[in-house]
Amino acid sequence: METAKEASLAGTMYAPLPEGTNDGRVTAHAVQTINADAEELYKVWSDVTRFPRWQEHVVSVTPTSKTTSHWVVGNPEDQDGKRIEFDSEITEDVAGQKIAWQSISPEVEQYGSVTFKQAASGRGTLVTLIQTVKVPAGRLGNAVASVVARGPAQTVKENLRHFKEMAEAGEIPSVAGQSHGPRGIVGGIKEWMYGETNPTPPGSSDRS
Amino acid sequence: MKAVCWMGKEKIEVHTVKDPEIINPHDAIIRVTRTAICGSDLHLYGGFIPTMESGDILGHEFMGIVEEVGPEVKKLKRGDRVVIPFTIACGNCFFCKDNLWSLCDNSNPNAHIAEELYGYSGSALFGFSHIYGGYAGGQAQYARIPFADVGPIKIENDLADDKVLFLSDIFPTGYQGAENANIKPGDTVAVWGCGPVGIFAVASAFMLGAEKVIAIDRFPERLKLARDLGAITIKYDEKEVNIVEALRDLSGGVGPDSCIDAVGIEAHSSTAVGIYDKVEQAMMLETDSPFVLRQAIQAIRKGGTLSIPGVYGGVLNKVNFGAAFGKGIKMAMGQTNMHKYLKPLLQRIEEGQLDPSFIISHIIGIEQAPKLYPIWQKKQEQVTKIVIDPWMDTIRPEVDGRVLLAN
Repeated sequence: METAKEASLAGTMYAPLPEGTNDGRVTAHAVQTINADAEELYKVWSDVTRFPRWQEHVVSVTPTSKTTSHWVVGNPEDQDGKRIEFDSEITEDVAGQKIAWQSISPEVEQYGSVTFKQAASGRGTLVTLIQTVKVPAGRLGNAVASVVARGPAQTVKENLRHFKEMAEAGEIPSVAGQSHGPRGIVGGIKEWMYGETNPTPPGSSDRS
Repeated sequence: MKAVCWMGKEKIEVHTVKDPEIINPHDAIIRVTRTAICGSDLHLYGGFIPTMESGDILGHEFMGIVEEVGPEVKKLKRGDRVVIPFTIACGNCFFCKDNLWSLCDNSNPNAHIAEELYGYSGSALFGFSHIYGGYAGGQAQYARIPFADVGPIKIENDLADDKVLFLSDIFPTGYQGAENANIKPGDTVAVWGCGPVGIFAVASAFMLGAEKVIAIDRFPERLKLARDLGAITIKYDEKEVNIVEALRDLSGGVGPDSCIDAVGIEAHSSTAVGIYDKVEQAMMLETDSPFVLRQAIQAIRKGGTLSIPGVYGGVLNKVNFGAAFGKGIKMAMGQTNMHKYLKPLLQRIEEGQLDPSFIISHIIGIEQAPKLYPIWQKKQEQVTKIVIDPWMDTIRPEVDGRVLLAN
């Protein structure tokens, strides 16, 4: 595997990374510097079966061929909750550097890419995630809204944050299910916002 | 277990809640043997810190015995005696590696809330609002400790809990306050606030070579603690004493080389500007009352260093930034990088350089905590520091002499 180095932007003008909503498609990006090798991070990202550990609302991902996988999305804590299923394929795969994907089921439209570059400052790996999701109209759209507690743009940012936490700290910080006194009515409503019932994935340093 | 819960502004109750459980693989559960009420808990009590919710378990100064460890905890085992630093850190991010433990990237599950307000999130804290992670605190009979291999310091001597408990926050916080003040041997240092952090800042300033330490507070019992350490004290009373003038006179007309604001957001003032702050806070135009900060900026010598261990949470008004610029001062502030100080300060205690238990005025059972919050807030009954024995099994009134007994 060859590692890509962060390109020097010296003498260039800042060009914003994609972000925004266009025709119902929400595009968001997230950037993190992760204290780990690009190869190692690339390997973790390549193992789609581990996605439920660090991506919110992912129940399972099953490889169906070398480049395709089957996704089940919903609230993993809720056994009887709504589920959305779709297939996805890898469109570009550069070992140690980049993975790009798109959904191939007609009812779901989402595509994205992640790149891994050795940070110029020797601080680990610069990881850039860009993802676009089209929130479908009608019944399926309602189903998506009912299983996803965060907006799609924030979910992109949280997922890359979880990936970094798992890689650096060996776990995703969580207060889900901790002890507390009576929450009262307003507090009960806010619990999800403050993380105690947030869709925080389990996260683990188990690298097997 | 019993736990001290924040139930609203100026409303503290003890509730029986479920015992904590291991949530993440690097967690440990401890049986709390000693905990304390911190001056910053009074900011929570008074409703000055946003994102507190009814039912939140308070407390970030605590120690105890390890009960249980998660599957990936390597350094601790059941039975170990530990003091818990109040900041939670992963130990492996850029900031932890750079000794900036209170700025850890990976411990706050609510980092996105902090990012909204501050741009980036600092580390999580125990029992200190949801913007700082919402972790249940240590004013309880048991507590869950995340990243148990990184934070807790093992106590392998027979020193009493009360002598090592303050490694959890106020001793390191006072010490960092002094270290950030860039003190050189022979310097004059002014410390605003003789609460626990201020008192440890006074003690630490002397440890770092200060020649003259001037301590400012409103209450005689606190000022006495500062004088006992060798400080010159000024009783803060705006009607009779002009602090800036007093500090000029006491520093040979130059101003203190270093100023330490160990007061923070709830500074008291009855002057017009102080009343202005109260009105602005009530109208939500200002979140913090930066009276001490203004005074320190005015009083400090040219090129001096202003260190701020006192807690600030939001937006300040009428701070004379021009004076700070005009005199070319340096400022340093922030939550304490606890993990960096635990070992060296434990060593100072073991060597007998300081017995931190001297600041304790009250030792209480957990049921009395709701009664003591307002008493300390109003500075009644000569409270200087309240510690809690959550099990009421090691309070020894006959030797202690500082005990407030159960009702």
